[in-house]
Amino acid sequence: MRKKTYAAAALFAAAALTLSACGSGDDSNKPIADVSAEAGSGKVATILDKPFEKPDLVLTDTHGKKYDLRAQTKGRPTLIYFGYTHCPDVCPLTMNNLAVAKKQLPKAQQDKLRVVFVTTDPDRDTPSALGTWLKGIDSDFVGLTGDFATIQAGARTLGISIEPTSKDKNGKLVSVHGTQVIAFSPKTDGGYVLYGEDATVDDYTKDLPKIIRGENP
Amino acid sequence: MRRPGRPSRSLAGCATVIAAIVTLAGCGSGGNDSSAEPELKVTGAYMPAPSMDSMAAGFFTVTNSGGADTLTSVSSDLSDDITLHSTKGGAMEEEKSFAIPADGRLDFASGGNHLMFEKLTHKPKQGEKVSVELHFAKSGTVKISMPVKSATYTPKTGH
Repeated sequence: MRKKTYAAAALFAAAALTLSACGSGDDSNKPIADVSAEAGSGKVATILDKPFEKPDLVLTDTHGKKYDLRAQTKGRPTLIYFGYTHCPDVCPLTMNNLAVAKKQLPKAQQDKLRVVFVTTDPDRDTPSALGTWLKGIDSDFVGLTGDFATIQAGARTLGISIEPTSKDKNGKLVSVHGTQVIAFSPKTDGGYVLYGEDATVDDYTKDLPKIIRGENP
Repeated sequence: MRRPGRPSRSLAGCATVIAAIVTLAGCGSGGNDSSAEPELKVTGAYMPAPSMDSMAAGFFTVTNSGGADTLTSVSSDLSDDITLHSTKGGAMEEEKSFAIPADGRLDFASGGNHLMFEKLTHKPKQGEKVSVELHFAKSGTVKISMPVKSATYTPKTGH
């Protein structure tokens, strides 16, 4: 089901791009926005029929300590995102969306929730660099860094494809972030809800109380 | 009666496809008024409040009611290091310039094209206004005031 929807969305997007590259005159509507509305049919959350298993990641947290993702988030509602701190746009927006939505929860629910940011750029995102960055967003968030191959393999089990940081034609370092936030249920520890980049504070605010109870948003 | 009709029908179908391709290609060339003066308007500019003073993004829309132009560079007191980026599938790519088609628009929007400000002179706070100069190949420099919005601001929801 999900794959089909994405394929259809990709087709629409491709069509829209072709059209907009050509018919530059029409500025009345943005086809890309329409596409995402169609693909998600008004809902930004995608509930998975077959949840993802939580990746077996043992990495280093922002205090330089070993962090075993499965052990330390067991039985906890957990949100995972793969990104990097040298990212001006989507990574801070995604993490700030989660931070603002989290702050609107009752204290007891906030304490249950785990938000885990796994870096896709471990060379630059040392534990302390990650810690400084996350402190500006929400100091309760967990930041993980470590061996890139391990992180990449963990991301792959969640259907998230990332590449190592590379140099672009101007010699600048360029990293890649994931495009989804994955929510894991406290009941099953399975990753059962996906959020795309268009998810807003309001979407997370509405859905988080349900995710914290392991219910479908 | 039907048989001879068939090949001509499929030929007609074929011709329609070719015509469609030609039409698309024709309109892609930018067309009739490539020599006309561009008439640019910049709207919807904003900067999400950055969490550190090392990096910030900027967004805006350029609408053009005249001939084609090109955004070549951006400058500001906030940073000496401002670059233009596109984003494809989670990876951003630096671009030297961005085309603004005749009678078209150029969007810098979250998740897509963005300005990247690095090594900021200070960390801009929500409510502040950042003065930014957009440099165009034909229209010259356009000064805009870029309001700093919340870190989670989206033009769609307005907060």
